[in-house]
Amino acid sequence: MKFASQLPVLFAAVLTLAACGKKEAPPVTPPAPAPVAVAPAPDLVNVPVSVKQVVLANQIGADKKAVAPATSFAPADTLYAVVETIGSGKASVKALWTFHKGDKTAQVNETTQELTLAGPTTSEFHISKPGGWPAGDYQVEVFLNGTSVGAQKFAVK
Amino acid sequence: MSMGNSNSGKSDDMPDFSDVAGGASSTAASQAAFKTYTIVSGDSLSKIAKREYGNAGAWKKIFEANKDAIKDPDKIFPGQKIKIPL
Repeated sequence: MKFASQLPVLFAAVLTLAACGKKEAPPVTPPAPAPVAVAPAPDLVNVPVSVKQVVLANQIGADKKAVAPATSFAPADTLYAVVETIGSGKASVKALWTFHKGDKTAQVNETTQELTLAGPTTSEFHISKPGGWPAGDYQVEVFLNGTSVGAQKFAVK
Repeated sequence: MSMGNSNSGKSDDMPDFSDVAGGASSTAASQAAFKTYTIVSGDSLSKIAKREYGNAGAWKKIFEANKDAIKDPDKIFPGQKIKIPL
């Protein structure tokens, strides 16, 4: 009689053991997203100073960037050469403005900035002439640490 | 190709650029700008200071910026290139 009274308990134990032996379906987990190849951003800071571009304009903004790049100007304009650089360190940036007539060249202005750079930088050089610019062909050549990095021709009409 | 005088730009039939005003600025962490000037006959640092700054007494500012090239402020030479702080 004692055994009979324990039957339900044994039955439950057997069921439990049977359940333990049963393999459960693994939980469904979403597959990990495939890695997306992203090109590393170019380092514009920890590199030697170099000139990215030179733009001419007759007006610049508060950020010293050219408002409207141009290669032709009016006699009364103030002429701006905007030099964008990347990199860090000390650098000497020079703008040499010249006037060209036939095979003759006259120097208009030569201005140098001694800079300590800590990443992308915008520098501007400007010239003005009280009586107005004579019409003709001009050029501004930009030098970085004494080496020419390019020249831009422009005209005053 | 011939290059006119670096200050006036005036030679023969070339225009006169002696009255050109120039300047520069930057977003750089630190900056110092200067104009390059070539000494001509009859120049003195005080004359240059008067012309550039409107104050002959500012010759010292020019002298200080050129101590590597000018040892005696009374001895400057035609053709000598100096820095004019802006």
